[in-house]
Amino acid sequence: MKKAVIALLVLALLAAGIGWVLSAPTRMSEAEAAALKAGDPAKGELVFWAGGCASCHAEKGAKGDDLLKLGGGLRLDTPFGVFVAPNISSSETDGIGAWSLEDFANAMTHGTSPDGKNLYPAFPYTSYARMTGGDLGDLYAFLQSLPAVDGKAADHELGFPFNIRRGLGLWKRIFLDTDPVILDPVSREEVDLALWQRGRYLVEGPGHCGECHTRRDLAGGLVLDEWLGGAPAPTGEGTIPNITPVEGGFGSWSDADIAYYLESGFTPDYDSVGGEMVHVQENMARLPASDREAIAAYLKAIPPVSK
Amino acid sequence: MRIIRKAAVLGLIAAAGFAAAAAQAADDPIATRQAIMSSVGAAAGLGGGMMKGEIDYSPAAGKAAIATMQAAALSYGDFFPEGSDQGETGATAAIWENPDGFAGELAKFAAATTSAMEASGKSGPADIEAFKAAFGPVLGSCKSCHETYRKQN
Repeated sequence: MKKAVIALLVLALLAAGIGWVLSAPTRMSEAEAAALKAGDPAKGELVFWAGGCASCHAEKGAKGDDLLKLGGGLRLDTPFGVFVAPNISSSETDGIGAWSLEDFANAMTHGTSPDGKNLYPAFPYTSYARMTGGDLGDLYAFLQSLPAVDGKAADHELGFPFNIRRGLGLWKRIFLDTDPVILDPVSREEVDLALWQRGRYLVEGPGHCGECHTRRDLAGGLVLDEWLGGAPAPTGEGTIPNITPVEGGFGSWSDADIAYYLESGFTPDYDSVGGEMVHVQENMARLPASDREAIAAYLKAIPPVSK
Repeated sequence: MRIIRKAAVLGLIAAAGFAAAAAQAADDPIATRQAIMSSVGAAAGLGGGMMKGEIDYSPAAGKAAIATMQAAALSYGDFFPEGSDQGETGATAAIWENPDGFAGELAKFAAATTSAMEASGKSGPADIEAFKAAFGPVLGSCKSCHETYRKQN
């Protein structure tokens, strides 16, 4: 009997040990880190808009130059609890001004903070992990050029078990995947492959469209079989629409309709963009027209999700 | 005499019609405000189609689009009584939680349509460039309100 208890204890310790190891925050390899170099802030500005950084890290309702003051504070009230966007301004004490490029890249692609903690995926590193080293270097240079904003944002308000950061290490092992979601264009005869791939990069990477437009499972992971098939709004009221080329729905939008919507905020029947998509649309309007066309080309050639 | 009586009867019928419409509006503010917003969508479709060059421009059509927007801007806010947040509606709770904010958005919409009406004169903006200058700001007021006061869809 005593032996059995000891055996159980040993097993439990072993499981805890394995869990501890598996939940450790990961980082880039030395080779990956060595390949990084700080880039061009002017190019980084486009990456900044493509990534929608200001939508969460600027003050709520900010317009114009205020979108470049990244003091954080926006509260995302989700089923997992309230996430508060942190200060990512260039303040050395309250923001990310003291971060190295490697620190920044580890946060963006591994969801790991400079002091070795797991970050919550409300910060969409599950998408940003697909970004190129070049874009990360440019974005870093641009962010460091922005004004410092004083003051740390409040802490997240999360209940058990979501308040245990260590546990996110396991979550990341399951859900953090840098492979493309859609490997090849589908359901279309003629596709400009380079344009489609640019669209895929923008949508699956910096644009992080899937984070809201794809349904999540109970563990908070995206259901990739229903990629961009729509979902209940993660914050606020309503639903996020299905943007796959489904008959009787988004499939009726032409490439030009999609590009025009992203530029102007008007749907083909002249309804206007609303809710959180207003920020997204205004960001997309700042990109070159070819990027909006690329997003349209991608969205028109992905598997339709009918529900 | 007979003609006068006929006119009076017709007038009564018309008045009854208005009364019925008003009663319906009071009974179902959601249906009324949705009808107003669908007229806004139709006017935006007409105006936007002309701005994109998909529909030939005419001053009368330009004025119709602007006048429709003006009528909507001045009346729309009257159909959000307490309790009408329940039911099949795209209106967010923020309308009733922050009535001043909502009124401010409606005021922006009305200011844009009033300027457009003034610019369009008796027979409508003379050409497409004049129309764009008048109608562009009207379209611009849609999303600043929808950002906060309409449910995501």
